[in-house]
Amino acid sequence: METYLSTEFARSGPLLLDEARAKGRWKVAQKVFESMTPEQVVDEVKNAGLRGRGGAWFPTGIKWSFMPKEPLKGPSYLVINADEGEPGTFKDRQIMEKDPHLLLEGIAIGSFAIRAETAFLYIRGEYKAAHDALALAIAECERAGILGDAAMGTKKKMRIVLHRGAGAYICGEETALLNSLEGRRGEPRPKPPFPAVWGAFGRPTSVNNVETLANVPAIVERGAAWFKARGTAQAPGNLLFGISGAVEKPGCYELPLGTTARELVEKHAGGVKGGGKMRAFIPGGASTGFLPPDKLDVAMDPESLRKEGTMLGTGGIIVIPEEISVVDAARVFSRFFRHETCGQCSPCREGAAWSDQVIARFQRGEGLASDFALLEDIMRGSKQRTICVFPEAFAGPLGSAIKHFRGEFKHA
Amino acid sequence: MGAVGDVNHAAADEGRKRVSGAGPRADGAAAKELPESLLVELRALPSRYPQARGALLPILHRLQEWRGWLAPADMRIAGEIVGLSAAEVFSVVSFYTMYRQRPVGRFPIGVCRNIACWVNGSEELVATVKQELGIGPGETTQDGLFSLEEVECLGSCGTAPCLEIESCYFERFTPEKLRTLIASLRKGSGDPAGAIAAAAKGS
Repeated sequence: METYLSTEFARSGPLLLDEARAKGRWKVAQKVFESMTPEQVVDEVKNAGLRGRGGAWFPTGIKWSFMPKEPLKGPSYLVINADEGEPGTFKDRQIMEKDPHLLLEGIAIGSFAIRAETAFLYIRGEYKAAHDALALAIAECERAGILGDAAMGTKKKMRIVLHRGAGAYICGEETALLNSLEGRRGEPRPKPPFPAVWGAFGRPTSVNNVETLANVPAIVERGAAWFKARGTAQAPGNLLFGISGAVEKPGCYELPLGTTARELVEKHAGGVKGGGKMRAFIPGGASTGFLPPDKLDVAMDPESLRKEGTMLGTGGIIVIPEEISVVDAARVFSRFFRHETCGQCSPCREGAAWSDQVIARFQRGEGLASDFALLEDIMRGSKQRTICVFPEAFAGPLGSAIKHFRGEFKHA
Repeated sequence: MGAVGDVNHAAADEGRKRVSGAGPRADGAAAKELPESLLVELRALPSRYPQARGALLPILHRLQEWRGWLAPADMRIAGEIVGLSAAEVFSVVSFYTMYRQRPVGRFPIGVCRNIACWVNGSEELVATVKQELGIGPGETTQDGLFSLEEVECLGSCGTAPCLEIESCYFERFTPEKLRTLIASLRKGSGDPAGAIAAAAKGS
């Protein structure tokens, strides 16, 4: 299987500039800066059908096309969402720690496409190793003239500012991230205005995920047709699937979108740990919820998972083994979401805390028959009633647990 | 509805922060004098951003690195640099879990309690800390060397279970490795940052 994202993942430290260049990094950005127009880059990415790998799967080229074509009375910005925090997700970290120049090259091309001269790379505060690898790579590029006032020897400016978060899951939501970048509490903003109109520091901004940008150099180099030859018609390309939990070989596997969950778990991750049985699996990070093992043949792409009532999310599969109950696993998530709600919208703040209390009661063996209706009521009362989709996120594990595994919720 | 009576206090009680602390006015422990060189470094940070306020998080990180936590005096200095009141800075500090509003041990151990780590034995790691050091989550040893906290997903799901000390990750960890780690950190307690880095390299 051809890979183009994970070629350096087996390394112990980051690929440094000299070696990175020998492997072709920065070659595509050089060509873009020297001889392409922003429209050509946007069109190539649009034609390739690249969709955002942060979990929302919005078409990247279309997002870029919302940005102003002429820099108006001030700058536009690219902001990179490296606030990887969805439980079960550890893919962006591999790119940043092992192949930082792949990401930086994608950032330079993305910035060019939206006519931005400054990119803010927002990385979660806990990712020290990734931060240090990126800081080193940026310094290398500044010394080599790849970044700076005459980027890559052209007349164009390109600057990348590395910015650390400080511990808050909600900052993965793009407008919360923008507030955090501005030195504010990481609370999501009401939309509209969308970031393309009013983003970082009040300027037009495109927010893109790390893995999304890491796809861009290959797309520009090899073309839309090459990219569309892998993955599904609606979601082309490879994806960095994370597999964790109770499996023999947990890790990050680069495979085409549409690969089945069974192939990922059984073939690549070596099946359930110790030859055990699976009780449930989570297809794409905490907020996508639980699926029973008889759904393992589902194709891992946004459309196929939507048909199963869930989402592809970040593509981080988590395997729950037979000996762990879904009630206990659901409590790990309800506690998490209760801890991470930003608290500005009452339905979310109260809903996350109340649902955690109800799950805790089931966990103690004190659940009531009426609790199912109560949980449904909490989910109904909070979804689509808040500034961001956090209630949809906590309803993922909650709703799927009581839908597919109701028998495990013992009650009086 | 008596049935859910026990749930009533739930909602507002547990905020995002597990560790509560003093507001910006209580000023007791701030006697440590900020070195001029650090102040110069901090004052240079706003120029990286279109608006000075953008530098607030980096300034707070740097201050916490220096003191080990954020005293009210630190929040005032951060506010002066970016043009905010101490109260506004405090509202930001209190939002983020990595900022500490009170001192912790020289080696603050954070054990991930989220799904992949939990499935792979994070509870055993917490129990090992309890056995070795006699502290539970939220507590610090009497000698001021170690603190324990349970943290949310660190993005180490493929290398679970994971714990972190000052954002250095210790992955695929076991109770045995944890006992060895505690012993080696204890030996290096004169230079905590060096001891953590050395241990992380060897793990």
